[in-house]
Amino acid sequence: MQPIQEAQQTVGNGMKTIQVRVNGKIAKKEVPIRMLLVDFIREELALTGTHVGCSVEGRCGACTIVLNGDAVKSCLMLAVQADGADIMTVEGLGTTDKLHPIQQGFWEKHGLQCGFCTPGMMMSVYNLLKTTRHPSIDEIRDALVGNLCRCTGYEHIIQAVQYAADQVAAMSKEERDEIFSY
Amino acid sequence: MTSVTESKWVGRSIRRREDPRLLVGAGKYIADYSIPGMAYLHVVRSTHGHARILNIDISKAEDYPGVVAVITGQEVADAMKPMLVSSIIPNLGGELQIPTVYPLAIDKVQWVGDPIVAIIAESKYIAEDAAQLVEIEYEKLPVLTDPEEAMKPDAPKIYDNWKDNMLWKGQLASGDVDKAFKEADYVLSERFYGHRTGAAPMETRGAVASYDEFTGLTIHVNTQRPHILRMAISQIMSMPYDKVRVIAPKDVGGAFGTKAPIYREELLISYIAMKLRRPVKWVENRMESLMTIGQERDQIHYLELAVTKEGKIIGLRDRLIADSGDGRIGVYLGFVMPWLGAAYLSNAYDIPNVQIDVSCVVTNKPSLTPSRAFGEFPGRFAMDYAMHLVARELKLDPRDVFEKNIIKQFPHVTATGITHDSGDYEGAFRTLIEALDYDRVRQEQAEARKNGRLIGVGFAMGAEMSGLGSQIFVPMENQPGYGAATVKIDTHGMIQVFEGDSPQGQGHETTLSQVVADELGVTMDDIYISYGDTFVTPFASGTLGNRGASYTFSAAVLACRKLRPKIQQIAAHLLGVESDGNDFTFANKEIVWKKDPSKKIALRDIADAAILGPTKLPRGMEAGLEATAYFEADIAGMLSIGVHGAVVEVNPDTGDFKILRYVVVDDCGVPINPMIVRGQVHGGVVMGMGNARFEKYAFDEAGQPLSTTLMEYHMPSAADVPDIEVIEYNVPTPYTPLGSKGKGEGIPGPVPATLASAITDALNIPGFKILNLPITPESIWRSINEAKVPT
Repeated sequence: MQPIQEAQQTVGNGMKTIQVRVNGKIAKKEVPIRMLLVDFIREELALTGTHVGCSVEGRCGACTIVLNGDAVKSCLMLAVQADGADIMTVEGLGTTDKLHPIQQGFWEKHGLQCGFCTPGMMMSVYNLLKTTRHPSIDEIRDALVGNLCRCTGYEHIIQAVQYAADQVAAMSKEERDEIFSY
Repeated sequence: MTSVTESKWVGRSIRRREDPRLLVGAGKYIADYSIPGMAYLHVVRSTHGHARILNIDISKAEDYPGVVAVITGQEVADAMKPMLVSSIIPNLGGELQIPTVYPLAIDKVQWVGDPIVAIIAESKYIAEDAAQLVEIEYEKLPVLTDPEEAMKPDAPKIYDNWKDNMLWKGQLASGDVDKAFKEADYVLSERFYGHRTGAAPMETRGAVASYDEFTGLTIHVNTQRPHILRMAISQIMSMPYDKVRVIAPKDVGGAFGTKAPIYREELLISYIAMKLRRPVKWVENRMESLMTIGQERDQIHYLELAVTKEGKIIGLRDRLIADSGDGRIGVYLGFVMPWLGAAYLSNAYDIPNVQIDVSCVVTNKPSLTPSRAFGEFPGRFAMDYAMHLVARELKLDPRDVFEKNIIKQFPHVTATGITHDSGDYEGAFRTLIEALDYDRVRQEQAEARKNGRLIGVGFAMGAEMSGLGSQIFVPMENQPGYGAATVKIDTHGMIQVFEGDSPQGQGHETTLSQVVADELGVTMDDIYISYGDTFVTPFASGTLGNRGASYTFSAAVLACRKLRPKIQQIAAHLLGVESDGNDFTFANKEIVWKKDPSKKIALRDIADAAILGPTKLPRGMEAGLEATAYFEADIAGMLSIGVHGAVVEVNPDTGDFKILRYVVVDDCGVPINPMIVRGQVHGGVVMGMGNARFEKYAFDEAGQPLSTTLMEYHMPSAADVPDIEVIEYNVPTPYTPLGSKGKGEGIPGPVPATLASAITDALNIPGFKILNLPITPESIWRSINEAKVPT
């Protein structure tokens, strides 16, 4: 994908115009400079799959997104800091017609109950599976330390990640590149 | 081709129907709701544990641009009754002093976090800004954080008009306890403490309320009990019942009991929406949540067991002191949890003589509110760990002590009046011992010890409620225990099921569909589930206490069975055959005549006749195909057993320990979806581990909470917990139509005693005992050093 440019426009009254690409679509908006990135994603872009589970202290991980190729917590950034960034949220991962192997794994293995932590959890899994072909159980557990789940006890999440890892491992390089394009 | 009759839906680990929407980020939680013109509520809370409010200056906040309104306590109180109305007051006997409470504090605050001022603004950012401009002048009062101090006759009173700080006092007793203690060969007597901890779901509380004078109040709120909340709002605000509509969102981000009470913010936002004639949204932030909800446990047990030399417990005496906090949250008032904990204290054991004196004391902390393993967590720790201590004192194998005391005959009514309906607790226990490979672990332990490694094995049990029938629920909460469901076949032959409860991640859309698909011979895809809206669903007490698979789903089964005769009568009429209304099978979306299977008709055609073409119906038959059923089990109580075992390794120099194995043998009657049941068990165990090891709602002596972020309130991450092995040991109950029981609620309960007994076994130090939760490396290290001090 082409790199995306910053909007480079500042307006008065504590507002700034930013430009981001989210799930492949360019969004250019004027935002309060104090607006958190997670609020921008949820309220300005109406992508409510990204959740807020803590007092924006970065502990719960429900707001995790992939920003410029890394899983980051969108409550720990201001929207203006994301100017020029390429972002993927859960809405960009896969569709119900074509689930991403990570989503498929969570479905097959009952890796979610209330589903609140799941989008953020899957973003961290994305980060893991993008670079690690056959993660061990310990590697999976370590990769998920930034995402809290209160329902599953993690057991089925681990199985979901293993399922997804197997699917990914069986893919061609082209297929892998396509589903890990962020 | 696989037909429906060959592959029953119940009992299969089917992927959940709710998952696709949640996996693509299309779940709709309360924070995702918005209404045009919506304003945002932020609550200003007390920064003191106990203080008089001398003055509140809201002028600067009111003048802040973007602020819609600033509201203080008296105004809200003038618009409603004190919140603890009779319908949400338990009726458990004993002595109860009922506190007065309104949504906002008026002249006094009782805990850090007590709501005082409501700010309503055009955005949540502005509301939070303006909150900083509210100036409150306090006069500090003495703060009580220790219930045993608060019980003393000379303690300062938290409620001026009370005679003391005793919220509720009562006794549960049966048998001749004094005689049992006189006859005992050995009496164990210890003080156990289960600290303040609880559930903390990933989604905090939230609500969106709107009002107009014609339809009245509509409040979307992530409650576990929409119907009870509707009833409470109507009564507290003196609003006609038809003008209060409570709707729980389709998706709720976990609850575990914390979203069951009637909270002050729910009444506050209702009032604000009415006053402003504008939709208002409130989403609790995590700090508020950790200051307010899900603080449970917090019980002291002065437990005594009268034991024979063979290890049979013949008497139990307990003085239970609960720190109820301010006790001002209906339905539970901070004392129903300890009460039930007392009622369930004797757990899965046959103890004939019991006396439990319960004192629930108010302090300057938030009220206890329910969390999974409702009221039982400290008692399970005390009881089951005490049995291990008994075994050690009597030089018996703890396995034998447990086996000797486990309930063996069913139904069994305990000395505290709890009915255990059915099951095989002994078999489940033995299955655990086998799964642990107990004898081999003992050998390995001896080997490891030679190499300086301290391995230990421990176990505990939990008989958890499987719903509560009306016999208990009516006195406990003034509400019915029945399950309620409506099954309605629509114009297209699809089946809509309405349940009065409203789930928070349990997977009702899947499991309820499995149940109904079997009853009516259709596929899960032919079924859709509606819940949450109190204007369309039948009245029910909510999703809590393992009511789903026990009560609510049983109601859905009964509703289907009510419909089946009518469907068969219509089928017979349309097919032109003689029928007694019970000679058809339901399979493959068809109704098939048993006497001649070539005579069959699609359910859709029957729906078409019953709803769209009533002229095709038998003469005189009423149109429509729907039924509502209320299920009440024909027994006072149903419970299900879970047996937990652990193998741990302890480092005696640091007190740290590692869980090498954690095994659960679990009974849920007939599992509707075994994969979902396993998920419940995993999650319950890990919550129990978090509660037992890492999580603590801590307060300083001024009542300041020290755990208001998830950094301080440490819920386990994936790297903090071991694999959990689950073994099914299912015994169908004869008291539900499918033999199913509920599962999930009580699972954390056995965790602390399992870990504590394994650690104690590993250390093998005479006199070492774990009497306080949480179990931390520091607490273990201290106990080791105390035990080593020569006496």
